[in-house]
Amino acid sequence: MTTLTRQDINFGQVVADILCEFLEVAIHLILYVREVYPSGIFQKRKKYNVPVQMSCHPELNQYIQDTLHCVKPLIEKNDAEKVVVVIMDKEHHPVERFVFEISQPTLLSISSDTLLSHVEQLLRAFILKISVCDAVLNSNPPGCSFTVLVHTRDAATRNMEKVQVIKDFPWIVADEQEVHMQEPRLIPLKTMTSDIVKMQLYVEERAQKT
Amino acid sequence: MDELYLDNIDEYVNDHNKIVTYKWLSLTLGVHVNTAKQMLFHYLDHKRKESSAQLHATYLVSGKFVNKGQASHKVSVVREDKLEDVKAKMSLIVSVHVYSVQKALLKDSGPLYSVDYDAVKDNFQTCSKYSAISCSSAQPTSPLEQTREIQRAPTPEPVAKRPGQNGEAAPASKASTKPPKGIMGMFANKTTSKNQDKEVKSEEKEEAPAVVASKSKPAAKANPMSNFFGSQTAKKPDKAVKDEEAAAQSTCGAELRPQSSQPEEKQKAAAQSPPKDVKIDAKKDVKKDTKKDVKKDSRSKTKRIEDSDSEEEKMEKKKRRRIKKPEPDSSDEDVIPDSPQPMETEEMSPPPKPEVEAVSHSRPSLPGTKIRKRRRVLKSQIFLDDEDAWVRHQSMTEKGYESESYSEAEDDFQAGKPPGKNPVPAKLPAPSREDQKKSQKKASANANKGSKQASIMGFFQKK
Repeated sequence: MTTLTRQDINFGQVVADILCEFLEVAIHLILYVREVYPSGIFQKRKKYNVPVQMSCHPELNQYIQDTLHCVKPLIEKNDAEKVVVVIMDKEHHPVERFVFEISQPTLLSISSDTLLSHVEQLLRAFILKISVCDAVLNSNPPGCSFTVLVHTRDAATRNMEKVQVIKDFPWIVADEQEVHMQEPRLIPLKTMTSDIVKMQLYVEERAQKT
Repeated sequence: MDELYLDNIDEYVNDHNKIVTYKWLSLTLGVHVNTAKQMLFHYLDHKRKESSAQLHATYLVSGKFVNKGQASHKVSVVREDKLEDVKAKMSLIVSVHVYSVQKALLKDSGPLYSVDYDAVKDNFQTCSKYSAISCSSAQPTSPLEQTREIQRAPTPEPVAKRPGQNGEAAPASKASTKPPKGIMGMFANKTTSKNQDKEVKSEEKEEAPAVVASKSKPAAKANPMSNFFGSQTAKKPDKAVKDEEAAAQSTCGAELRPQSSQPEEKQKAAAQSPPKDVKIDAKKDVKKDTKKDVKKDSRSKTKRIEDSDSEEEKMEKKKRRRIKKPEPDSSDEDVIPDSPQPMETEEMSPPPKPEVEAVSHSRPSLPGTKIRKRRRVLKSQIFLDDEDAWVRHQSMTEKGYESESYSEAEDDFQAGKPPGKNPVPAKLPAPSREDQKKSQKKASANANKGSKQASIMGFFQKK
């Protein structure tokens, strides 16, 4: 029943670890459910005690891991406001955006033994919701690709550009074309509130996907 | 029954976009599972007639299946579009019912499991309340009997029948060394031919499209199940057995294994849903080992997130539709509050106690338990001071907790220490020990030396 605060060592890292692991699983699942890649490359694995689909393709996995590795320091410092998985069509216009809005309370204090299992339960619900999201979304045109955008608070990205967290994996400011979507429809999927993090997931979908 | 349930289901399916399985419905509405199945069926019927929303359903089919002359009992969860196909392939259909209703077309069966997971976890003790399976002679054992069971050595079992049982509902729980043997003992009557049959059957099912949410249970499930009901009369209707299998299977949450999975020695039961364990175990006259597995299983299920994070392991692929539960070995320290047998929990994971290694304290050993555990051991490191005497000097002593894996069966080590040597009980807290040593520094150097020598011998003996 300890009360940890943000000053405690590694606490920010713990939260960032949890979130990055969750984001990795969520991204894989989004790629599977939205059929961005053929389902043959996916394989069932276990996370949070439930089966999830993860890809086996090494380069794809490496790309996702590198992406999240760079995002982690932003989450640790609570600089990341939104992590967005954008699915784009052949002309690189976004057709769908899965937005994870993350916010962490500034004064964190944990006072519960069951906190982590509670968080696990909430994350499990997110996974479940992503699995059934294609009921509410139109199907995508073929030949889509994806990318990950991070919206940060203030000017945190300045540091990122200065310090390459991973060699040869630079982050650049996103193009207007990738960020802006025409006629978006908003579909909320799930929210969660816990002691350590608040997260919201919604989907912005282009009205006409051709 | 009133028609309110139709609105309820409608709300869940359409407004909340949930997957409504019959088990979840029965737990949520507090009705018997058979009623829930009928509710789902009526709802589906109703909606289809209205032809309003686009609904998808999955069905559970169980029956006899003949594969190359080998008969087996197959239970599958199938999507609606494959239903007729699967039904045609079965030689005898024992039961078909609606498994779930949802708006989205599911690409794989994973979510079906997730849906039930939380509902069952919350109602762990009572999740079998609405179940159709029961065994009146199965009573939960008293804690005393359980500890006795734990200490009893597991019965040896023939190796051949191992592959088949992993898919079994109740017994296929935690993968630690002892429980599998105990469970194996239950299948002592199984013939090897059935196993091969299972393997063949599983391989064949491999050809089924990977996307289809269909899974099959190992063959001849009827046999081990009837072993469980050993005390039941032969008149126990077959249907009940199969229903149980069906229910047990469906409570597994429709694990789909499109790829093959590797048979292993260990009992694999990935994500063993508690209802399966509680339902079947509590209702059978089973060996206590199984019960222990169940407890361990439930314990590990509510493990901390760190453990589950590290468990992102690939299920090994061989053509087997089996549920695996990779378990780290040293998970015994968790004391889970909702474990139904708290006393047993304590037996299994004694609280870590500080213990000074070098001073010859006899380690208390639990009676006869031979279980590997991890414990934190307060180790003192002795340094030679200037006089080259084996004296523990306050300033030179470092105490640290080290996690040590030890086995209770280290009787030889303890025998090495002379018996009447330890005036200080093992659980003495560290500071007072320090003081004692300080005062005894010179005066009892010899005594210490004597005891140290014994302990040193013991140390070498321990290796």
